Amino acid sequence: MTIANISRRSFIKTASLSAGGFMLALNLPIPNEALAQASGHLSANFNPNAFIHITDSGDTFIYCGRSEMGQGISTALTSAVADELEADWQRVTVKQADGDEKYGPQATGGSASIRTMFIPMREAGAAAKEMLITAAAKVWHVTTSDCFAQNHYVINKINQQKLSYGELASLAANSPVPSKPKLKDKSEFNYIGKSLAQHNQTDIVTGKLTYGVDTKISGLKYAAMVHCPVLGGRLKSVDVSQALTMKGVIEVIKIPRFNVPFGSIGGVAIVADNTWTAQQALKKLVIEWELGKNQTYNTKTYKQQLVKNVEKPAKVIFERGDVSTAFKQAKHVVKATYTGGHISHSPMEPNASVVWVKDNSCEVWAATQSPADIQKTLGQYLNRDPKDIIVHVTMLGGAFGRKFKCDYVHEAAVISKKIKAPVQLTWSREEDTRTGYYHSINAQHIEAAIDDKGNVSGWLHRAAFPPIASLFDPSVDRATAGDLGVIEEHPIGIKNLRSESGEAIAHTRIGWYRAVYALFYGFSFGTFIDELAYKAKLDTLSFTKKLYRHNKTADQHEQVERSLNVLELASEKAGWANRSNFPSNQGLGIAVHFSFGSYVAMAVKVEVKNDDINVLNVDCAIDCGQILNKDGATAQMEGAVVMAMSLSLSTEIVFKDGAVVNSNFHNYPVMRITDMPTVNVHIIENNHKPTGLGEPGLAPFPAALSNAVFAASGKRYRDLPFQPMEL
Amino acid sequence: MKNSIIINNKHHPVDVNSEMPLLWFLRDNLAYTGTKFGCGMGVCGACTVHVDGVAMRSCIMPMSSVVGKKITTIEGLSEQGDHPVQQAWLKNKVPQCGYCQAGQIMNAASFLSTNNNPTANEIDTAMQGNICRCGTYQRIKKAISDAALVLAKEVK
Repeated sequence: MTIANISRRSFIKTASLSAGGFMLALNLPIPNEALAQASGHLSANFNPNAFIHITDSGDTFIYCGRSEMGQGISTALTSAVADELEADWQRVTVKQADGDEKYGPQATGGSASIRTMFIPMREAGAAAKEMLITAAAKVWHVTTSDCFAQNHYVINKINQQKLSYGELASLAANSPVPSKPKLKDKSEFNYIGKSLAQHNQTDIVTGKLTYGVDTKISGLKYAAMVHCPVLGGRLKSVDVSQALTMKGVIEVIKIPRFNVPFGSIGGVAIVADNTWTAQQALKKLVIEWELGKNQTYNTKTYKQQLVKNVEKPAKVIFERGDVSTAFKQAKHVVKATYTGGHISHSPMEPNASVVWVKDNSCEVWAATQSPADIQKTLGQYLNRDPKDIIVHVTMLGGAFGRKFKCDYVHEAAVISKKIKAPVQLTWSREEDTRTGYYHSINAQHIEAAIDDKGNVSGWLHRAAFPPIASLFDPSVDRATAGDLGVIEEHPIGIKNLRSESGEAIAHTRIGWYRAVYALFYGFSFGTFIDELAYKAKLDTLSFTKKLYRHNKTADQHEQVERSLNVLELASEKAGWANRSNFPSNQGLGIAVHFSFGSYVAMAVKVEVKNDDINVLNVDCAIDCGQILNKDGATAQMEGAVVMAMSLSLSTEIVFKDGAVVNSNFHNYPVMRITDMPTVNVHIIENNHKPTGLGEPGLAPFPAALSNAVFAASGKRYRDLPFQPMEL
Repeated sequence: MKNSIIINNKHHPVDVNSEMPLLWFLRDNLAYTGTKFGCGMGVCGACTVHVDGVAMRSCIMPMSSVVGKKITTIEGLSEQGDHPVQQAWLKNKVPQCGYCQAGQIMNAASFLSTNNNPTANEIDTAMQGNICRCGTYQRIKKAISDAALVLAKEVK
């Protein structure tokens, strides 16, 4: 089956998308009229649009254009299609789409897939259903209103006759495509809002699902590589003689730097009969690097400098009201400084892909969050049309933002082009850890003016962190207005507010990590609010309600109420009212954060013995508007807690002399099963537009944990991670 | 071939460097890709297989140490993919990205074969060598408890 085998005229459907305010152009291909006119000889299959294919036997394939990395999108979106299609989910096979603009924007990030694709995907399903109904009505010589679709059949209301989707497939291919298909009412949903299992579970538990590291094709060669340890450094010389003596080694290849966004920084690769031989041969290379200007980068001193930069006046980014008067008239002022280190995504599957560059084609099998970016970069590199670069998106063995940047695919292309054979490049864990796009190292300083009524009358918020923009423009010397937008847009809406950005020049590649800046803003706001409550001698829940409700800005009313709803729910479930009955070394901390359009609150219960922090229980409440898959949402929150525990308690990427010191999981100590608290997820259901959950779950956790530890022990942690490993 | 090993009940000749870890022999030479590469130093558990029924980290197990032994990978844990541990994983909807799960399942199956009535602490201790970055630990614990109940009944 190919979707492309039907020539078609396309019409552009545009759906206004609230997320980033951009428009999605979705091509819904229409069956060729000429084909339809070919005297009753009908096409064998029904491909009403890019997302759906129904065969004559009724087997139904639904394509997911977004990358699946465990966040459940390929089940959530395709089940929404199936719901509108009135398909039997048991008859549906979910397919991961190749890189192709006909699926709409495929870049998977920003917790945006649900926000942007929920309606277009439903429309695709609804359109197909209407075409099947039209075909059935024609067979029965009745009107379409005499028919309805249910569970893979169209049913004739008049005489209860049924035609299966398989029987109708070929006929439906000739139905006109509805321009505005009618979507179902929420009360009619079969799958949306339920708890369908992820479609790929059986393949996972039997070891059959293929990831980026798993593609096997005839003639495949295996590669491993090493990158310069310091950003901006270059290869000075390499002695390959020892490596080439190893049995099974095929070639040593220098990888050039790709001067494009997310391009490979270059290095040296070894191609061999198998991955292990390539890895071993790398150790025999004698390499001299010219390390360049970043070789003085040292995160310990850099972080100290960031703290200095936020504890003195910095570049004013935004100001409203009268901040200086608010502070002059304050009854008292509360100040605190928070920091966070670099963190590495470290998905369980290291960066890997297979690339086969041939004279007339280029085919890629990659665990990627951005197939279009691969097409663009390899098109440029090979001097070919990006559309001619075929990108098969495999399952991603975790990604968390890292696999948006496909340097490992560029490298495999260089190798394949050179050796004229398909190549599988797999990074070692050490390369994955040391050649990352790290979450930004950061410092924030907040000062709050408290007036005589105990209200927060002024807010000064300084942040210093090398922003992601530094990837594209090395002259960027600090975070920009956009990067600090969260401060002025925060639902507490302090009337007199100023944000400032302190100098922070990047010395490594900064990339978005799951939850991005919401990680440290969630931490600073959530912890500082707890500190303010303590100073005000109010419990944090009461204080937070007072603080949020003091914001009378009309267009933030919804944010205030939805934030407080989740906070109250999480607090109630965790027994906030009864916390004084806890043993003296236990504490409950709460925090809420609004990010990526979703509201998440965490109530974290800990036990502290000496400095040993044991997380006992987490109650998490979410409001992501209309929910697509309850179990998927719950799983995302459970996972967010674990990942946020790692970065709150222990994981930090440390640079010394320009290079990353960490190398593998023994010195990047992520959470293990022994650390796992009980996590209870509580979902607020409503009819707001659906928003994503891949990232927002992490944002409130670090603050809730810091607040819990303070409640249990009186010790306040203001630096992420709380207890870094000495490296 | 003088040397061979048995993988999922099939004999395979061993004609590679004796230092090559079993993981890469499985993956690159035989295309048994269900067993995953995670760390290469035995600290994450993604590569867990059974060697004569016992869970081992295949990424640090040289071929010289497994010649003549019986290896079971995730592909061979059960003929129909219905080992009680696999079923419990499905029932509890454990996997997210799923990359670590073969290792988790192999480790759990080996553990339960020696203890089908484990306490929560015993499950934790047995599974602490297997990392899941998606954070599915809560469901793993529950799935192992569920599988233990099934296995205990089978024994009776």
